[in-house]
Amino acid sequence: MEYGMEQNGKHSLWRLEERLSRLLEPVTPDPEFVDSLKFKLTRTPAVLLENGRRKLGLIAVGIGLFTGAFLVWLLRRRSD
Amino acid sequence: MKKLEVAPLEPITDSNAVRLACCGDSEAFSYLYEQNVKRIYNYIYYRIGSEEDAEDLTARVFHRAFAHINNYVEKGVPFTAWLYRIAHNLTANWYRDKHRRLEVSLDDHIELPHLGELPERTIEINQEKELLLKAIRRLPADRQELLLLKFLENLSNGQIAVIMGRTEGAIKSLYHRSLISLREELKLVSGNDTMNHL
Repeated sequence: MEYGMEQNGKHSLWRLEERLSRLLEPVTPDPEFVDSLKFKLTRTPAVLLENGRRKLGLIAVGIGLFTGAFLVWLLRRRSD
Repeated sequence: MKKLEVAPLEPITDSNAVRLACCGDSEAFSYLYEQNVKRIYNYIYYRIGSEEDAEDLTARVFHRAFAHINNYVEKGVPFTAWLYRIAHNLTANWYRDKHRRLEVSLDDHIELPHLGELPERTIEINQEKELLLKAIRRLPADRQELLLLKFLENLSNGQIAVIMGRTEGAIKSLYHRSLISLREELKLVSGNDTMNHL
């Protein structure tokens, strides 16, 4: 009786393995996605661009503040 | 006239491609990408069941791998195994972020690829596959990973052990337990599906 149950259990696991082999087959990703990702990975230094932009922004703000302070100083000097 | 000296062509392998990629060689990056993109996409696609998210996560795996390629050399595992580990971690994060691990509804639609069969047969196969995938996604992450590596990639227990960072014996035992849990989950999922159709 126990032997029969054990055999049934093993048989159901074999059937499950067969089902997994039959149904789990590789899918093909969209070729457009594959090509565009390859392009991005091998050509675009995205991080460097982002850093460069941040630095440019800081420089622009710095120049703006300096010019503003200089103008205030100049106007005060004239009014004195 | 002096002859140009040409270096002898070295057969490209994962290890010398990684070495070259570390020096910023874009051809080596391309080689590593082409060798692995389909298997990583497949692994993620079967773990999460959505083409769009699988594309997003595949892109993140390769961006992370190429950004940290210097770390790989020190670890001493095959490059593909290293990519699988990154894919596994990002998939786990994806489930954690979206709180989907325990919330995958039995009615969720799973996008299945179209098979080159007759329409009736295709529907039948897709239904069977949908049930199987629902049951697989209810298993703990390590069991899902093992089953996908075994049946999608046809990897041996030894190769899976390297990828998952366990011993071959541990993988053999986990595989047996995974099949038993999957059989139980299939019973539950099939039962629920029958109830839904009533």
